[in-house]
Amino acid sequence: MILAVVEKEFRMFFRYPLRVISSILVGIVFLLQFVYFGQAVLGGRYSALLEASTGMGDYPTYALIGYVLWWVSVSPMEAYVWGVRRELQRGTFETNVLSPSRLTGLLFGLALSWLLMDSALMAVVFALGAALFDIPVTIPLLLKSLPAIIASLVAFLGFGFIFAGLVMLLKNIGPFAQIFEFAMLFLSGVFFPLAVMPDWVISLSKLFPLTHSVNIVRTLFAGGGYSDVGSSLLWLLALIPLYWGIGYLLFRWAERTTRVIGYGGY
Amino acid sequence: MWAVEAEDLRKSYPKKIPLPFRRVEWVEAVRGISFRVRRGELFGLLGPNGAGKTTTIKMLTTLLEPSGGTARILGLDVRRNAREIRRRINLVAEGERTLYWRLSAYENLKYFARIYYVPKDEERERIERLLKLVGLWERRNDLVMNFSRGMKQRLAIAKALINDPEVLFLDEPTLGLDVQSAIFVREFIRRLVDEDGKTVLLTTHYMAEAERLCDRIAIIDHGKIIALDTPKGLKKLVREEETIEIRAKNIEPEKMSSSPFKMAVIERNPETGVLRLRAQVDEEELPKLVEWLVRRGVKVLSVERREPTLEDVFIKLTGRGLRD
Repeated sequence: MILAVVEKEFRMFFRYPLRVISSILVGIVFLLQFVYFGQAVLGGRYSALLEASTGMGDYPTYALIGYVLWWVSVSPMEAYVWGVRRELQRGTFETNVLSPSRLTGLLFGLALSWLLMDSALMAVVFALGAALFDIPVTIPLLLKSLPAIIASLVAFLGFGFIFAGLVMLLKNIGPFAQIFEFAMLFLSGVFFPLAVMPDWVISLSKLFPLTHSVNIVRTLFAGGGYSDVGSSLLWLLALIPLYWGIGYLLFRWAERTTRVIGYGGY
Repeated sequence: MWAVEAEDLRKSYPKKIPLPFRRVEWVEAVRGISFRVRRGELFGLLGPNGAGKTTTIKMLTTLLEPSGGTARILGLDVRRNAREIRRRINLVAEGERTLYWRLSAYENLKYFARIYYVPKDEERERIERLLKLVGLWERRNDLVMNFSRGMKQRLAIAKALINDPEVLFLDEPTLGLDVQSAIFVREFIRRLVDEDGKTVLLTTHYMAEAERLCDRIAIIDHGKIIALDTPKGLKKLVREEETIEIRAKNIEPEKMSSSPFKMAVIERNPETGVLRLRAQVDEEELPKLVEWLVRRGVKVLSVERREPTLEDVFIKLTGRGLRD
């Protein structure tokens, strides 16, 4: 059933090549803006200050890793918010709810589809970014980073259920979700080191899986190993059940309430 | 065992989302309705817009939690056995946007076959059979967005049959369809009952549709069932000699609402301005009705006795028409 949802979403997305191309272009344009802006502020590609605080001094590599991981991490939330909203607008949401498949399974399939689609698009953006900024990337390095990336995405897949519940209940929560997504961009050290932030922000940032996955992948790209990022790894593993637990409980409450007021549409 | 049973079924909607610690007012949409549908029966819920038909159907299909009373489908409780019920029923919802327009007809059915757990080895054959049944096999690879309203509705019916449901619910299945498509849909629904033995519960506000299609009809108004019988039995509620049809001009609808007579406008011709009214009046009341109309500046063109229809039953029971 999850595969059926994935197949349906892929068909609808990749049926329009222009949409795929424009998504990649949007990804590239934002990346270029951030990288060139960062380099302009730092006065060049390399920053000793950045290296001292994060262990990685090459800004394009630093930004590319953060940016690609942020984009992919928010895609489950995007799926739950915009994907479910689209189903509500289409009128197909109730048709899905009516089936004997579990709603959580259908929504998970939706989020997984968007995650996979965004991962495919971001793989292209990452490859283009790496080529453009001459970033050395090897397949063993990518494979080594995969467990951390997957752990982070698993946490976000669970967390996104909160948004799925809220969108069923409140319908239009897109702007709220976007505030959260952009807050994560700043609070996870995607484009600048968290060391420049106040202590309470640094503490808060630990609650975002992205903070830890970005830190792990950057360390690996800088030549380090998992043993150097034990604390981030532990945080990441602890956040998975926490995010799934909170997400699932809030979703169930929202689902029960929605059955009282009606799934409805727009 | 009954296919559908509703016992004092009630539904209230909150005016605001009922968040914890928030006081909300509730509006009653369905106020305690009871009825039973036999297996293999075509049962109709007839009523004006806002009568509570869709709410009732949504409770019966497990999409809405009832506020009170009980409902059982094939002996299963809608609150406790929702998943089992969903395996054995299906719904053609109101409106045309219940399909994925960016998928083809075949892809739509394939998707729904998967989420209904249709066995893989039966999937292809079943989709082919259904698409042929609704006359869309030749257009199977076309995107739904390029279909006409009638074709979309035929595909929606095929989709609702994908799990071979024992009970099929249809919410206003011919709403907005052209005449030809509406005829196809009506004949198709009747065949589902007569030839395949399906139980069908449909809602409609089209009198003629209910009269021609349904074995039994429940007339629903303001969330309550006000009459339930066969079309023939319902029409017996109105005596033939009481049914009057008046053709008239110069009628201002707001003046009609204060009428002391059981009367309703059933057709308007915007080009000629001629209206058809149905009224329930006896011999003594008829001259008074005509006089009442004339005093309000209405130009009465003709007055005739007519055979009662379900519209007359509704007028008799509620004092107004289905479209009022």
